[in-house]
Amino acid sequence: MTLVHERTSQFFEGVRRTRREIITPEGVSIPVELADYGERLSAFLIDWVIWVVATIVIYLPIIFLIGKAGSILIAVSIALFVGFLIRNLYFVYFEIAWRGATPGKRVVGLRVIDRHGGPLLPTSVIARNLTREVEMFLPLGILMAGGRAAEGGVDWEQLTLAIWMLFFAVLPAINRDRMRGGDLIAGTMVIALSKRALSSDLVDGAVHFSFTEQQLRAYGAFELQVLEELLRRPDSAESLRVLNDVCDKICRRINWTAPVPPNQVALFLRDFYTAERAFLEREQLYGKGRADKYAQPNPTK
Amino acid sequence: MIESMTVPDRRLSAAAIAGKPALVLKSSEFRKGREEGWRELETLVGHVERRGVRLLSLYELQRLPILYRAALSSLSVARTIALDRNLLLYLENLALRAFLVVYGPRISPLEGMRTFFRLELPSAVRAARWHIVVATLALLVGVAAGFMLTLQDEAWLSSLIPSGLAGGRGAASTRADLYDKELFAPSPSAVEAFGLFANVLFSHNTLVGIMTFGLGLAAGIPTLMLNVYQGLTLGAFLALHYNRDLTVDFLGWISIHGTTELGALILLAAGGLLIAEKILFPGRYARIDNLALHGRQAAQIAVGAVLMLFVAAILEGGLRQLVASTPLRFGIGFGIGALWIAYFSFCGRRARP
Repeated sequence: MTLVHERTSQFFEGVRRTRREIITPEGVSIPVELADYGERLSAFLIDWVIWVVATIVIYLPIIFLIGKAGSILIAVSIALFVGFLIRNLYFVYFEIAWRGATPGKRVVGLRVIDRHGGPLLPTSVIARNLTREVEMFLPLGILMAGGRAAEGGVDWEQLTLAIWMLFFAVLPAINRDRMRGGDLIAGTMVIALSKRALSSDLVDGAVHFSFTEQQLRAYGAFELQVLEELLRRPDSAESLRVLNDVCDKICRRINWTAPVPPNQVALFLRDFYTAERAFLEREQLYGKGRADKYAQPNPTK
Repeated sequence: MIESMTVPDRRLSAAAIAGKPALVLKSSEFRKGREEGWRELETLVGHVERRGVRLLSLYELQRLPILYRAALSSLSVARTIALDRNLLLYLENLALRAFLVVYGPRISPLEGMRTFFRLELPSAVRAARWHIVVATLALLVGVAAGFMLTLQDEAWLSSLIPSGLAGGRGAASTRADLYDKELFAPSPSAVEAFGLFANVLFSHNTLVGIMTFGLGLAAGIPTLMLNVYQGLTLGAFLALHYNRDLTVDFLGWISIHGTTELGALILLAAGGLLIAEKILFPGRYARIDNLALHGRQAAQIAVGAVLMLFVAAILEGGLRQLVASTPLRFGIGFGIGALWIAYFSFCGRRARP
């Protein structure tokens, strides 16, 4: 019934996050949410700031040691070199030590995982990060170091480099798992990992209203979960109004003639939820699960 | 249609006798029985997420996989018997978080690096030996062609070697020019050497190397072409010095870093060819799956090659002009070359499962 509760999420949140399934080594499929481009960009920017600051902190003493003997070219070269070391150690270290998350990814709530649900191997981490050098930073370094070659006309090397970098920059946008070149090669993907809390069970045993099976046949799992979501909302004037509306609609649909006193609306809905869930869960166990109110009764009879 | 007026699963209980019928749901009972285990797992996973696995006690470490499997089993059961959305989402989330903890990288970064360099990198290179042979052949073909062409007509130099790479060397150079300004030029200061190092690293050769690797995606033909082209450049330089009777000195001058640098370029080309092969002949997998399956090997090779480029740049920037003796240059160059070959051929060979 994975589909039903995803549909409910979509109903309430409006947008649907792109989901993939991984199969754990135990053979259970678990849905994962792919990270958005925006999330990945902001994670990268945070990491980038940390990396740049670290590089500058290490770079300044070196420059002071060298003093005025160095030229601009040498200063740039050393910056590139220090940057290279810090950057790779930083990403590789954290993605291994923090189980697939750099500080930036941790702040945003992202994780690197194996695309097929296996363990995340250090090799994959090293591969996906050093590929970033080939995708972006080495070409960038060549472009920066090779600025001297501008003598007019088209420099084919720089043009190729620019196209190369552009291709890898848009690569996550043109494949369905939003993989960077490094992800593609290392067999990884980046997911958004949230935390969910377990609320108390809405079913608490004692019921005051009882319903007939005929009445319970009015709805399916989707409506049940929408009702659940509404009942779980914190009390407010707005939610009370919605509950009243819903109560009216349900009463009309199931031909509930007796009036529901205003102070018992929540109680009535809760009991209806309990009875409906008991009914639908039993039907589901018998192989007669019902996705929503439009679903046809099972034609097995 | 069943005409029963009763609600399913209704049992008579004390509450029912008192006038309030009670409903017993399988999913609620299921939840009551297991919730404690889920909460315990959630606490453990929370600890690990915040502070790492190391701080768990022995008892907690033993509980973790047991609770994880129990949660997975609960998830499977809940999917068939429960319609409680909050419960299902919670279990999926808990199972995923626990999965990431249980199947996260199990070794420290340092150990991971060590395994990589001791076992995985050399064995990835060994597995691509035929690609390396092909790449080497392409390079040799290029060297031979460049040498032949330039030997007969030095006008080829200007078309085979880009002006940025030639550095003033060309058909007009005399023997003395090459001898004093190139082969045995005075050693640069330490700071200059470092600048030279980085300049070399982020240079033409690296660029071509990266392209060789990346263009493996285009069926490997550009890879081979670029490799031949690298050979052409080298062959042309060789002929230039041959014509001026400087062959041995030139070979010594270039071998000090050349064995490493050419090794790196060959490895990059071999990686590119590997990618090309896996895309062209996917076997029983889809092309993209096959790429992911073997891409890791190609990436490992590329990582090794990038490191070799680093070493080559250090040698070229720091050591080449410092060592002004041709035999010594040969010694260093081929010594390091032999070390690379020994490393890739023998390292971690016995440890493979």
